[in-house]
Amino acid sequence: MYSLVTTSIIQGIKSIPVYVEADVSDGMPLFEMVGSLSPEVKESKERVRTALKNTGYILPPKRITINFIPANIRKTGSGFDLPVVAAVLCAIGIVPEEALKDTMVVGEISLSGEVKPVNGILPMVAEAKERGVTRCIVPAENHTEAQLVKEIEIFAVQSIAEMIHILNGGTYIEKEIGKAVAKTIRMLDFSDIQGQHFVKRACEVAVSGMHNLLMIGPPGAGKTMTAMRIPTILPPLDEKEQMELSKIYSVSGQFQLREQLMEERPFRCPHHTITTQGLVGGGLIPKPGEISLAHKGVLFLDELPEFKQNTIEILRQPMEEKEVRLVRVNGTYEYPADFILVAAMNPCKCGYYPDMQKCRCTAASIERYINRISQPLLDRIDICVETPQIKFEELNGTKKEECSDTIRERVIEVHAIQKKRYQKEDFQFNSQIPAARIAEYCALSKDQGKYMKKIYKQLNLTARSYHKILKVARTLADMDGTENILDAHLNEAVCYRNIDKRFWRDSL
Amino acid sequence: MKYQYWLSNIPGVGCKTIHRLLGQAGSAEEIYFLKKEQLEKLSGLSDRQVHAITDRKKNWNLEEKYAALGESGISFLSCEMESYPKQLRNIVDAPYSLYIKGKMPDFSKRRVAVVGARMCSEYGKKMAEQIGEKLAFCGAEVLSGMARGIDAYGHIGALKAGGNTYAVLGCGVNICYPRTNQKLYEDILSHGGIISEYPPETEPIAQLFPARNRIISALSDVVVIVEAKERSGSLITADFALEQGKDIYAVPGRVTDSLSMGCNNLIRQGAGIINSVEDFVKDLELYACNDTTQENFNKLLLEKDESLVYACLSLRPKSMEELLKKTGFAMPQMADILQRLIQKDFITESFKNYYIRKI
Repeated sequence: MYSLVTTSIIQGIKSIPVYVEADVSDGMPLFEMVGSLSPEVKESKERVRTALKNTGYILPPKRITINFIPANIRKTGSGFDLPVVAAVLCAIGIVPEEALKDTMVVGEISLSGEVKPVNGILPMVAEAKERGVTRCIVPAENHTEAQLVKEIEIFAVQSIAEMIHILNGGTYIEKEIGKAVAKTIRMLDFSDIQGQHFVKRACEVAVSGMHNLLMIGPPGAGKTMTAMRIPTILPPLDEKEQMELSKIYSVSGQFQLREQLMEERPFRCPHHTITTQGLVGGGLIPKPGEISLAHKGVLFLDELPEFKQNTIEILRQPMEEKEVRLVRVNGTYEYPADFILVAAMNPCKCGYYPDMQKCRCTAASIERYINRISQPLLDRIDICVETPQIKFEELNGTKKEECSDTIRERVIEVHAIQKKRYQKEDFQFNSQIPAARIAEYCALSKDQGKYMKKIYKQLNLTARSYHKILKVARTLADMDGTENILDAHLNEAVCYRNIDKRFWRDSL
Repeated sequence: MKYQYWLSNIPGVGCKTIHRLLGQAGSAEEIYFLKKEQLEKLSGLSDRQVHAITDRKKNWNLEEKYAALGESGISFLSCEMESYPKQLRNIVDAPYSLYIKGKMPDFSKRRVAVVGARMCSEYGKKMAEQIGEKLAFCGAEVLSGMARGIDAYGHIGALKAGGNTYAVLGCGVNICYPRTNQKLYEDILSHGGIISEYPPETEPIAQLFPARNRIISALSDVVVIVEAKERSGSLITADFALEQGKDIYAVPGRVTDSLSMGCNNLIRQGAGIINSVEDFVKDLELYACNDTTQENFNKLLLEKDESLVYACLSLRPKSMEELLKKTGFAMPQMADILQRLIQKDFITESFKNYYIRKI
């Protein structure tokens, strides 16, 4: 007898349909699986046979052949156990054929016949729905994740026996598995930070125009504290973005037992010992890296000069394209990676330069320290600010500081202005204006042009750094709601300009 | 001459050994013609040094090498020569040889050494520059070591006033150390000279640097220490100056500033105090001029908010955050005021978002 079961495989954050065929025919007793399988899928054979026996079904002594379609995609992962079981059961007549029509089956099994959770359920179910699948059989522990997709029937099963029961028309009893992750209540707020108005303002500017930000300051100046609060002033995610982000977390197995899509903007702060694969994603079977997990949120690189040079250099392409593309023999994996980069560093090894009373570094050691920062990465950072040490009085200040929600409302408005202005363009924010369009969107008056020429010479700017100043000035003008860039905007943008290694060295 | 040049070029034979040799053999030429056995008999020579001397004789073409030195534009002096400066001849451990690129200091003029810490504060930089500038303006010559920090700013000040300035290096005169001072190195060459007791191509090694301080102080009349920590290399120069009977001046600093500890200690021990640059040049009896270049800028040019911010600034770098707090201005306005002040040349950004007054 022949049977066909629908299942799915994850590639990037997309899911591709895979069909499992089973055929039972006369001949030498044999259990064979074909169709470009990776070792963990081949092993499934043993699990299926034993699990079925332990569930109470003995495989007939016949020739059983399993085939996976399409054969040109390599099948990896552990989610094929359950579809193979379903196909075999159907082929030997335990499960009716029509029960498997328009049904997707995913799950791993143990020898005792229990069904185990798999990664990437959310994209699989979402994609199955688009394909016209009406019901899904998923592991019980993936239940909360699967039911986030509306208008599709979800059966979460704990064992093979339960699946057989449901496929034979038995009643499905919904049950609570594990403890759901409570909806996170945001604990962080910009009002937690006393003083530091300069840095706060810089954060607001950065978020308003989606500019990348670099903070330089001594240890204990609150760089990390500030960075952690940046997601709280980003506008809330819309449903499409939430789904995209949730898919990334689902694929990487970090979705846990959330009961709703991810609503919070992510904040990722990888340690500086991170590898290239850990940062941008990779591995033999590619997994999303930190930059994808920071999608639509903030990627915070603390102690920037401590990161390995080649790890940092690899960020350049994803930052331009807003996605990572990993090419492997078995296919191309794409992960979205649209994030704000926030970096922090000390001005020197001991952290106290230019406070000569405290700094114990020699000029040479400071120079070595500066040389560790990658210039190409600096080129992608529009705003750079210094964060001074916090004084005791400030730490215990009781002054009411502005809270994140107020700032966020302003940011939403500025984003709306930009979206309207760039509706016909393929970019959305001021930070993304291509060099060729700067003259058009960041137009200066004649006097301003003269003034900037003077500044250009005085500060020894490069074309790139000059453009960055103009882009930031554009954001400042949008924040003020003015049509044209004013002198004050230019002056403020000059204050935020990025550090120049040369300038740094000269000041030693 | 060629023998003297040869003598100063033997690795492992320093100026002390040479003086010992000269005491026994008489002159460089005589040393050159000593046989190995004779050398071995001389007291105070290790086997290795004897070996180095005989070795050097073999691989050293006297005529060729000396001609090459002349062609490279470096002049050579040794203490066996008449033209060797008498200021150096009488000091303890006088250098046997001197290599000079550019000019030698003009001994008819007042010569002042301006030295201090490499990692110095903005205050130190400004003071060194001002002192250098004022001295050069009054016709004195400024000497220093061309190190980073105070030394460099002393030179820069003197060059700014169009005066002559001289750097004594701890490496060969054709090597610019630190490399970042390349421009300064060239400027000094065109307005003064670079001096070293070590032959050209000598690499900058840490051990060689303290010794050059004795030459700096010996060549000058007065030594000014601008900033020095309690245990600073600049204090070595002060010790040499004391030994050589030169006048020492120090720029005072705040009691709590570790960078001024050395200077304040010197003042306590009786060094001259520089409470103002004008008084200092008066002390030196340099009245050459009444300059009006400084301090006369018209504060009326500033608008009210600008002068408020300007009043908050000093020579100690202040961060943007500090300024915002002190003045109570909001960020966009503050940035605007600061930029205007920078444009009017009243202040400058000394480090990323740190601002200081410009005098």
